[in-house]
Amino acid sequence: MLSIYIELKVILAYYRMDLIKFNNFFYRYKGNQDYALNDINITIPDNKFILLAGETGSGKTSLIRCLNGLIPQFYPGYYKGSVEIGGVDTTSISIANLSTTTGIVFQNPENQLIAMNVEHEIAFGLENLGIDREVITERINQSVMLTEIEHLLHKTPYELSGGEQQRVALASILALEPKILVLDEPTGLLDPSVAKKILLLLQKIQEEKGMTILISEHRMDLVLPLVDEIILMKNGKVIAHDTKEHIINSKRFIDLNISHPIMFSLFSDLRKEGIEIKKLPTSIPEALELLKDFIRV
Amino acid sequence: MIQTSHHVPVILVKNVEYTYPNKTIALRGINLKIAKGEFIAIMGKNGAGKSTLIRTFNGLIRPSKGNVFVKGENAQKHTIAELSSVIGLIFQNPLHQLFSNTIEEEIRFSLKNLNLDKNEIERRINGTLEIFNLEKYRNRSPLNLSGGETKKLAAASIMCRNPEILVFDEPTLGQDAKEIEFFINLIRNELSKEKTIIVITHNVEFAIEYIPRVILMADGNIIADGPTNEVLTKEMLINESSLVLPQIYQFNMALNLIGIPSPKNVYSKKQMFDFLKEYMKKNQAISRRVFNNGIRLSKCF
Amino acid sequence: MKQDSFLHELDPRAKLLMAVIYTLCTLIFTDIVPLLIILLSLLPLIVNGKLFKKWIKSIKGLSFLFIIIIFLNTFFISLTFAIAMIIRITIMISAFSLFFLTVDPNDLALSLISMKIPYSIAFSFSLAFRFIPTIAIETENIKDAQQSRGYELQASGIINQVKNLFPLLVPLIICSIKRAFNVAEALESRAFGSNKKRTHYFTIKFTWKDWIFTSYLLLLLIFMIFIRINLNLFPFLTWSMDL
Repeated sequence: MLSIYIELKVILAYYRMDLIKFNNFFYRYKGNQDYALNDINITIPDNKFILLAGETGSGKTSLIRCLNGLIPQFYPGYYKGSVEIGGVDTTSISIANLSTTTGIVFQNPENQLIAMNVEHEIAFGLENLGIDREVITERINQSVMLTEIEHLLHKTPYELSGGEQQRVALASILALEPKILVLDEPTGLLDPSVAKKILLLLQKIQEEKGMTILISEHRMDLVLPLVDEIILMKNGKVIAHDTKEHIINSKRFIDLNISHPIMFSLFSDLRKEGIEIKKLPTSIPEALELLKDFIRV
Repeated sequence: MIQTSHHVPVILVKNVEYTYPNKTIALRGINLKIAKGEFIAIMGKNGAGKSTLIRTFNGLIRPSKGNVFVKGENAQKHTIAELSSVIGLIFQNPLHQLFSNTIEEEIRFSLKNLNLDKNEIERRINGTLEIFNLEKYRNRSPLNLSGGETKKLAAASIMCRNPEILVFDEPTLGQDAKEIEFFINLIRNELSKEKTIIVITHNVEFAIEYIPRVILMADGNIIADGPTNEVLTKEMLINESSLVLPQIYQFNMALNLIGIPSPKNVYSKKQMFDFLKEYMKKNQAISRRVFNNGIRLSKCF
Repeated sequence: MKQDSFLHELDPRAKLLMAVIYTLCTLIFTDIVPLLIILLSLLPLIVNGKLFKKWIKSIKGLSFLFIIIIFLNTFFISLTFAIAMIIRITIMISAFSLFFLTVDPNDLALSLISMKIPYSIAFSFSLAFRFIPTIAIETENIKDAQQSRGYELQASGIINQVKNLFPLLVPLIICSIKRAFNVAEALESRAFGSNKKRTHYFTIKFTWKDWIFTSYLLLLLIFMIFIRINLNLFPFLTWSMDL
């Protein structure tokens, strides 16, 4: 009964609340002196492609773990403040119940695949939620089509390449039909062109499903053209959360010790030489657009 | 760019084939010559045979066919320990080797089998900790370091052995700009000491910016071996290796298409910067003059 | 991975029963001839499943044990007994390896559940099955990483040998714990341990093939017990190479 009640509460909450909301949230891992998350206040809106950027160890992974209750439920530690998902405090509801709101794909595809074939893999979460068979069949078909892995359905994890494994992990999360898809450096271990394909796939999914995607990603060159908003983190704090244009042209972004897109760092170096550049480009098309002003004359 | 050397190559791979016990063919007839002091990238998609190839250098993998020669000597005739004092392999995952209670102990362990006297061991430990900025953590557990620092420690635990040839497996993976810069400086320093450096990487931008020669592997074969500029700009090779074309190269081609006369051989960010600085400054000056003239003209009327 | 021999298609429960019944049959005999007959009766299954090479390999792995058995038993009892023991072990290992070589690991958990074993336990079995190759690769990588810094696998003296294990064991344990956390995170994120009643999307079915095979196994057991009781009626069965 209780779970039905909680679910109802979650469903109702969607209609009036932000998807995810952090209220003065602090967290430190058990046995650790420093706060991994330090006074986080952000809201994550619906239907946006959001990049979570920051130096290594700035708290990106910890923030992601809050989004489905892994922090503070699975990782014991000290916390203050609250995280609300669809208006419900994440400590008042089980991680399993949050899995249909927030779906997380992690970096290492190998460790996310727990079944011996792809079909079982995708069904796993749905079985756990006690969903009807007919619905499971339908969801498997849909997510397999969306992630373009129809041909892999009966393969074992060992027969798959890293990119294919990550697609399967993605499919198994999408099958749960979460409102927000979160990815923690999903392409870190993949070949560049495979990474590019996965990121483009995410863009397609975001457009088709109209869901929010939050991604932490090192490959700035590939990911920046896709994103609407950026959340910047440093030392456990969110130092900025704004539209891509605002963030990119802010000093905070330049000063951050991350691998900036090549076009971006090229033109910010040029700006330092005294050349007038109003908006720093992040991709080749943007850079060309900018240069056209210099040829027209 | 390839340095032709008159003395014996430090690594010579001759017709090397290797098949894993589970029948997976990893190397299908590799031929390779690496001269002293070279800086080389080995690239290719996951499973192309890169890791297997570097493991044949220090005897972790003994070829099924063919031979590897290290400084002119057949590797077959030497133990892994002997070969590892000449060739240092620094693997991708630092957690695969850290086990000691303190960082100092971790480095000491690497020096154990080198027959060094006590003073030399202490000198090496101190020197290594200093190079890697790890002195302040000397008595800390390796497990309490940040990701970047563990990666440094793993490199330190090989480099303290002072091997002539260093092989890095994905040194830039998951690293921040500052950490990557540290590795580049480290490598430059080693190159200045006539060390030979080999780097396995997927990072096209890193390779084209810093590494003169690239060996491209696919399906157990070397499909290209030559100057990075030439190899990494061939679309067919790039596609076959699941890589992407370097940004500056793509940008340069696009510049020519929109009518900006950039020189043909621009591959690195530095070169592009120099060209654009000149070009943009010039055009900025022209545009200002035109603009100012416009104002002057408008005043006349 | 998926193959379609008779044995592969059998229900895992039927195959498990095979392993158990063959073990029982071998336990009641100490003579070479009946044991040899039992062993031969496994051969068609091995050949049909195209498992001959793998089977030989798993038997070869036991050769060291066999040498010890021959040495000790011939010395203390008799060569006949030694050989009988070896055939016995071969049968047991063969029957169980036939089970493990042909069972679909996905079905393993399901068959455990159908035997009233709680889902969480059945699932941990299949999870262990899933990660064995991964951990084996990790172990190789750790060995490679340590050897590349001058570590030598062999050491002299028992204390040194134990000490020598640390450079391998510590990283292996640390990496396994890390992996366990990763896997647990992934499980949690897919509603593992949800309080709802789990749907079992996949099922295993006992088909007519399984019933035929099960009947065969039971008949075999009865037949063997019969022979064991009336062993004296068939003198050739108790043939011995001792004088």
